[in-house]
Amino acid sequence: MTDGNDRVDDLLRDALRSYNTPPGDREIPLDDMWGSIEAQAFPGRRRTPRYAHWFSLAAALVIGVGIGRLSLVRGHEATAGAPLTPPATVAERPSATAELPAQQLDPATSRYLGQAAALLIALPAEANVGRPDQPFMKRANELLLTTRLLLDSQSGSDPAMRNLLEDLELVLVQVVRLEKEREPSRRTEMELIQQALDQRDVIPRLRSAASEYAADD
Amino acid sequence: MAHLIPSSTVTRTAFALQTTPQVNEPELIARVLAGDRLAGRELYNAHAPRVFRLAYRLTGDAELAREFTQDTFVRAFQRLADFRGDAAFSTWIHRITITVVANAMRKVRRLRERETDLADLDALHPVHSSARRLDPDLRERLAKAIDALPEIYRITLIMHDMEGYTHTEIADVLGVAEGTCKSRLSAARAQLRAALADFAKEYES
Repeated sequence: MTDGNDRVDDLLRDALRSYNTPPGDREIPLDDMWGSIEAQAFPGRRRTPRYAHWFSLAAALVIGVGIGRLSLVRGHEATAGAPLTPPATVAERPSATAELPAQQLDPATSRYLGQAAALLIALPAEANVGRPDQPFMKRANELLLTTRLLLDSQSGSDPAMRNLLEDLELVLVQVVRLEKEREPSRRTEMELIQQALDQRDVIPRLRSAASEYAADD
Repeated sequence: MAHLIPSSTVTRTAFALQTTPQVNEPELIARVLAGDRLAGRELYNAHAPRVFRLAYRLTGDAELAREFTQDTFVRAFQRLADFRGDAAFSTWIHRITITVVANAMRKVRRLRERETDLADLDALHPVHSSARRLDPDLRERLAKAIDALPEIYRITLIMHDMEGYTHTEIADVLGVAEGTCKSRLSAARAQLRAALADFAKEYES
């Protein structure tokens, strides 16, 4: 009798395990589903035409990144009362987060990486219907600031993370610039951003890093 | 029979579900209500995997699960102003999921009943996934035994034994007392064991 009950339990266990087994989380089509949800739940954005001015935009971008990083470093040094000279190495730079233990940074870093991925995923839809709105640009500015802080923190000392943060910084600078651009420059800027995202696999790397930080948490 | 699925499987699922939302939900909800689609995406990211998994378990079909997940979030965003925060957002969105899936599956089944020979009992049950077709004998029959459960028992069994929801969560989502939830689960398991007893005899012989 007991053997019979065990057999039934085995069968039931098999039935529960194999019943309508869903795909793994990574295989769930989150982006595709969001496209449809966004169109229905957040409708009504205007559309604009497209043109291109590649060279001047690329040059402005490089200058923008340089100014942004230098401003951040100088801000930290001024706060610490140090002379306004560029630091010799990244590891020597002072930072608001540099002295925090890695464990304290991980949950916030994971959240930040997830937010950055969400912003970049939403970017094409934002740009396709005109100038991204104020909350979007505010978030992009916040993420750019956080990226620069992280580059100067312990997270920036890890080569893979540093590489990712540098790519992200480059993209976010471009995103932030969208606010000031007019057509046709904005469209060109968007194409540059999309190229950078595709060539450097920024979004998949952000997701992967966010998962790793969350798993370490 | 406390847990038929190895506890490690259920625990892993439950742990993942508890740690996924690393967001300040009241703030996100306020931002969504102000029209911030990025906040909407963050809220979606935090809950969509669990909603999709539940929809998939209930339907057994990837396309339907996708469609119902989309419907769930569209409804949730459109009615977000009605969400008062009395329950957790996850509870609220799972209520919507269950409603969306249950209503839609009634239509799917009615359609299939009209299209298919009434003698074919498959028409009365959820759509079968390709995974099941790979194993047409025993696995198919085991699945049919679960399909044949009363819908409210099947939902309770799926949520608790397969997806790792607690009795408290299920009771909140379904709007019943925890005791009701436990007795439904017990009844579902009893019916399933009775149905599977015949299989066990065949399997042994």
